[in-house]
Order: sequence, then C-alpha cells, then structure tokens
Amino acid sequence: MRNIFAILPLSLLLSGPALATDLPADPLGSVMWESMARTYYPGGKIIFDDRVKLMVPQAAEDQFFVPVTVDAGALADVEEIVVVADFNPIQRALSFKPGDAEPYIGLRLKVEQSTPIRAGVRTADGVWHMAGRIIEAAGGGCTAPAQAHTNANWMATLGKTRARVVRGQGEEARITLRIRHPMDTGLADGIPVFYLHDLAISTAEGQAVASLEAYEPVSENPTFTFKAKLAGGETALAVSGRDTEGNRYAMSIPVPAPVGN
Amino acid sequence: MKSVRHFLATASVLAVATTGLVAPTTMAQSAGVTIDDIMNDATTPQDVVTYGLGTQGQRFSPLDEVNATNVKNLVPVWAFSFGGEKQRGQEAQPLVKDGVMYVTASYSRIYAVDIKTGEELWQYDARLPDGILPCCDVVNRGAAILGDKVFFSTLDAQLVALDAKTGKVVWRKKLANYQDGYSNTAAPLIVPTKKYGPLILTGNSGGEFGIVGEVQARNPENGELVWSRPTIEGNMGTLDGKESTMTGTKNESWPGDMWQTGGGATWLGGTYDQGTGLAYFGTSNPSPWNSHLRPGDNKWTSSRIAIDPENGEIKWGFQTTPHDGWDFDGVNELISFDLEKDGQTIKAGATADRNGFFYVLDRTDGKFISASPFVKNITWAKGIDENGRPIYNDDNRPGDPKEAADGKKGKAVFAVPSFLGGKNWMPMAYSQKTSLFYVPSNEWGMDIWNEPITYKKGAAYLGAGFTIKPIFEDHIGSLKAIDPVTGETKWEYKNKAPLWGGVLTTAGGLVFTGTPEGYLKAFNDKTGEVLWQFNTGSGIVSSPITWEQDGEQWLAVVSGWGGAVPLWGGEVAKLVNHINQGGSVWVFKLPKQSASN
Repeated sequence: MRNIFAILPLSLLLSGPALATDLPADPLGSVMWESMARTYYPGGKIIFDDRVKLMVPQAAEDQFFVPVTVDAGALADVEEIVVVADFNPIQRALSFKPGDAEPYIGLRLKVEQSTPIRAGVRTADGVWHMAGRIIEAAGGGCTAPAQAHTNANWMATLGKTRARVVRGQGEEARITLRIRHPMDTGLADGIPVFYLHDLAISTAEGQAVASLEAYEPVSENPTFTFKAKLAGGETALAVSGRDTEGNRYAMSIPVPAPVGN
Repeated sequence: MKSVRHFLATASVLAVATTGLVAPTTMAQSAGVTIDDIMNDATTPQDVVTYGLGTQGQRFSPLDEVNATNVKNLVPVWAFSFGGEKQRGQEAQPLVKDGVMYVTASYSRIYAVDIKTGEELWQYDARLPDGILPCCDVVNRGAAILGDKVFFSTLDAQLVALDAKTGKVVWRKKLANYQDGYSNTAAPLIVPTKKYGPLILTGNSGGEFGIVGEVQARNPENGELVWSRPTIEGNMGTLDGKESTMTGTKNESWPGDMWQTGGGATWLGGTYDQGTGLAYFGTSNPSPWNSHLRPGDNKWTSSRIAIDPENGEIKWGFQTTPHDGWDFDGVNELISFDLEKDGQTIKAGATADRNGFFYVLDRTDGKFISASPFVKNITWAKGIDENGRPIYNDDNRPGDPKEAADGKKGKAVFAVPSFLGGKNWMPMAYSQKTSLFYVPSNEWGMDIWNEPITYKKGAAYLGAGFTIKPIFEDHIGSLKAIDPVTGETKWEYKNKAPLWGGVLTTAGGLVFTGTPEGYLKAFNDKTGEVLWQFNTGSGIVSSPITWEQDGEQWLAVVSGWGGAVPLWGGEVAKLVNHINQGGSVWVFKLPKQSASN
C-alpha cells in the first residue's frame, strides 16, 4: 500500500498531455496508429468509444467514392469531428465543427488502398472519442485524375451546387449538399492540387450553424450531409465556401416548414 | 460579385464580402516588405523586392564584391528544380527578401526557396483551365511583393495574392476573360499613391487575339479594382467603379470600329519613376497585323505611355511605330535615367524598340530627344526624323492582299528587323558606373506578307504570314553597350543563337546575361570581354539578379529554354532546336577564401 501511494503523485504528473505510451492499443492493429493519433488527434486523452457510430461499407464498391457517416449524437458537447484514412497518401480528409448542428456528418472519400478509416470526436473536455473500421478497396483512388477532366470545359460548372433541406419532426432538419469540384489531390500527373477547403452554414440572418474544413481525400463533387435543429420560422440557410484557389462560393438553400405544421 | 460562382439550387447568389480591410494609408506597412522598401530597392542591395532591381528598371546593383578580377572564381551554391513535366520557357526574375527567394516558373507556378539551403519552403501551382490562349509560350516573368503577400499573374489572366509565409491563396481576381484571348505573363508593379496608398498595377497580353490593351490598378489588400486605363483611343477608362475618361479621341487614328479590337497589349508590365510619379507602360502591336485594314496612326499601339497612378490618366504618349505593319510590338521597357548632355542633367528615359531603334525621351513629358539604330541593316525605315517619327520605306511595307490578283496574299517583303524585334521582351540594363545601356539585341529579318482576316473572338487575329531569317552567317544574338548620349555602340558581343534573356550590371564593373546555349556570362562593362561563364544545363531566357546576404554577394539566374523563339523561329530553329528544356534556379557566389582575389 505504501508503495502505491508513493507512486500515485508521479503518475498524475505524467498524465498531462497524452503521451505515446498512454495510447490505447488500436483495435484495428494498424501500424500507423501511433502516428495518426499524434498528428491528427493531439492534445487530450484518446479513448475508443462505442458511442461514436462510424458507418462505412466493408469493401469499397468504388475507390473514388466511399460513403462515410459519423454519428456522435450519443455524446454531449462535441466540438470537432476529424476523419482520417491511415493508408491514404494524404490521410486527413475532414474536420467538422458542428457548432449548433448535430454532431453528425456524412461524406464520401477517395481511398488509395485498403485502409483503416477513423473518426475522432473531440468533446469539450478535450477527450478524443475514437471509432475505426477497415475498408477493403482496389487501389488508386487518390492518384487518378478526377472524372471532371475528361471534359475540357470542366471549369464552366465549377461550384455548381445542388442542396436540399428535409424537415423531420419539430426542429429536425437534414441538409444535403453536392458541390461540383474536381477535388484534385495534386497526386495525379500534371494536375496541381485544387480542392474545396472551407465550407460554412449559417442562418439567413448570418448566425453560424456549422463549419468544416475539407482536404484532398474528399471525393470529387463533394457531398455532405448534416443534421441541424432549426427554429420553426427558419425559411433559408446560407452556405458559403472557398477553395484553395481563392474561388468563393455562396448560396441560399430554402428551408421547408417542419413536418406536421 | 464577379468572382462568386453560381449555384444551381437557387437563383439567389450572395456575394461574400471581404472583411478586415485596413485603411489604405496604413495597409501593408505592418509586416514584411513596405512601399519604402520597394521605392528604395535600387539602393538597398540586401534584398530584391522589385522586378528590375528598382522600379525604374535599371537592373544596376551597387554591389562590387564580385568584380572584373575575381568573377572568374564564381561557383554555384545550389540549384533548385521546378520539377514536373512542365519544362517550358523560364523567363522569371526572382525576388529576394529576408533569406527567402520567390521565383515564378512556366505554367503559372511560384516557389519560395530558403536561400541558405536551396530547400523549398512552399510551392503554388495555379489551377489553369484547359483553354488558355498564350501566344508565345507559357512563361511567367516574375512576382511582386508587399507586406506579407506575394503577387503574380497567371496565364488565365488572373492576379493571385499568396501568403508569403505559406503560399496559400489570400485572394485571386480575374483581370480579363482568358476565353477572349487575354492572358498575363508580366511581373506586377507596385507603386505608391497619395489617395489610395500602394496600388498594384498589371498589364495584359493577347495582342495576337484582337484584345484591347489595358493597365489596371488594384488594392493589394483585397484585389479590388481602383482604376483601369485602356491603351486604344475610343475606349473608356474607369475610376472608383465608374467610367472616368476616354483614351484619346474616338476615330482620330482608327477607322470605323477597329479600335474595339485594336490590340496595344501592355504585356510586359511597367516601370515607375518616383521623381515624376509616373508609371511607364509599353504597348504592343495593333491588331490585326495587316496594316491596310486600319489606316491611321492607331494610337496608342506600339507606344510608350506615362500614366498617373493617382487616377489612371495618360500624361503623355510616344508612338515609336505609328501604323505598324511589321508587328513591331513596341512594348519594350522604358528605363528612367539621368542623361548628362551639353552640361545639363535631363530626366530621361530610354527604350530599345522592337523596330530596331534606341530612343531617348524626356520622361517628364515624353518629348523626343534622340533615336539611333541598335541593330544593323534596318529596312523598314530610313531613319527617325527630328520629331521622333519614322521616315518609312514605303516599299518595305507588306502589300495589301486586295491588290493581289487572287486577293489572297499581298506582296511579300523582306524586312529587318524581324517581328521578334531588334529587342524583344528581355530587359536591358543601365550602369550608373559607365553611363551605358547594355542591350540584348538580335540581328534578323523576315519575309512577311498580308492576308485577309476578320475578327473572331478568342481566335488569332493576324492577317499575316511570315518566316524569320538570320542576316549574318555567324550570329543572331548581339549584346551591345550603347551610349545614350551619342547612340554609339561601344562594344558588341556576338552570340550564335538569338539572345532572349535580361541583363544585369553591377558597380563591380560587370555585365551579366544568359544565352540559349545555357551559359550565364559575365562581361567587362567597358570592353565586352567575357570574364566568366557557367553552363546551367538548359537555355537561359530570364533576367539575373544579385544581392547581398550575410556579408557576401550572391547571384541568381533561372535556367530553362523556351519563350517565343522555338515557337516562331522559322529558319532560326536550326540554331536552337537541339537545345533541351529545363527549369531550375542557379545561385552563385565566390568561395570565401577567394573573395579577396
């Protein structure tokens, strides 16, 4: 007993910033885990947490478009959701800050080969709540030219967007966006890096709802799904974006009335 | 509004306002390069923050550590590759600030390099559309820098501001529609104004596509347009978002509506003289090349114009080739210098024109002082009269196709110089030590004839056919030392291939320039003797720089063959078609132990 009490203060001292030795073992057994944790989930404690729901297919039907959904609705005070793929040449895909929206994000990713896909959910106490799944995939999702480039005039449709808000019961609303953008990774021969980087949703009055930063692995023509709680009188949402070339995008999405009203 | 792309889902498109604007008088003074640094660049050799080593464009460095005695010891420190498969013409002049080099490359790329190590700090590749329409290779001539931003223009006619530390895009503005034939290759020019603070000035390219030449001035903080000034008479300028004044008088020197597609591109950018407060831009050939379609002087094509940066008004213009019929695309830089003549100091400017004549003008009012041929065997004009107007050889103007029996091809003539000019884009240098200009020139002629042509947006608008021929067996390139007082050539260095690179001169008594054969060469500024040369592995078609860092004099030049010669070169191709492409920066200095030799 005396020994344990003597050691305790020392271990408290060491438990400040997460050290590599504090890392929980990776349930997926990835050789990249330590590096991924250090690079993309810095700061707080890291735990694997079943309350984070990560939905990915077992095998990628198309390595250019792998649907990924993260639902952290079982956690309170979520500040950020970061999605990575261990064996992609560019690993970080997305950082989503739900703000006033639900901690829920749907997107599509490119994968270069079979890889763990991870979602880390940071709560207000600084803890990263992790979920991971391995996806089987054929190679090459990140290094082939975007489909857009088969058309020499692809720039004419750059930034064109389809968006929809579907109301559920009460305040519930589901927002889906699809933006025309090649999301060039810079890894295809002769095609410089060029991707949609910032996206923000706000109310028509300009009050921030949610924001995200997208990176190269997000699929061409990025498609995002968000969930938000909207007051009854809300008739439109504003979406604004900016890509790595400084092109700015802005639109207004009409919001239908809640179901049952 | 213009830069905001449209979304399908709704017709309502919202402009995203740029936030965080700073008052013009204080902007960009907080970090990095100040407007004073830019104005003093010629006398502060610790950095190179302007295209031209000073906005006057003299390309003279007061550094003299490297001199005629020890230049033979110059050795490379490092070479940096631009990489990729895009090894086309590299015409850039690097900038240097606080140990970082900013250098642009073909296909609208820019790099920041750590000068001590030669390691890349960042790289930005503009995402160009597939349909760009550059006439004469996919070059870029350099960047501008102010505050914490680096600026350069792109082949799809955009101006990009990047964070100097990270290379991330701060803003990007469309200068013109690339689909209509506009592009940009010149280094932007930053000038001070009382009303708006520093402004960033850009020209445009596209004189082969029936565009209208223009100078635009923008706020460097956010890229917003302050004024624009078309070069062709009849077109309206703008100031503060409203129409300002018309350039010249409509139809004074243009027939019908030809002024709407009249050319006069300002594709080489400009120089600026703080004494007069004027920005000097050269303007390109008129469109189309077939001069019989546009009787009149066609102002202000093939001219130098002086613009007041406060409001974009043209203070004066001087036309070197009125009613050009040979593509004497007189865009050449006007370099401000003090002319000592008859015991007087005259605020002069000198320019070596595509048409083969070296002009000295009064830079305060554009008054003609003198002109003298700087290439041999000029055919198109007998000389320049006392008012600065060419005395044409009418027989040497390519004929009107309408007078041909079949109406398809006018009478062909052999004219000297060729349409690539006695001097093309490559900037000359002025030595404050010798009071001589060092002019990279070419001795060549052309067969040229006119053909019928009608304007079609975004298509080449020439109405001429041509082929270039050397006029001497042993050389085309000719670096000349020219005395601006007498117009005499003091010495000449003959180079087999055409010269296509800029010149640098130093207080160390040296003149530097590169050759298509790959050499960076150092010449004695008084004799033209070659004192040192180094082969960079590909042709040099760029402008060298020198600066002082950590107590040592450094030199840099970009290597990479290309530009207009291999594209248009005619018979000249024999001299150059074996030259391999490249894309790299070479940096030189003296080894420490031999610096005192």
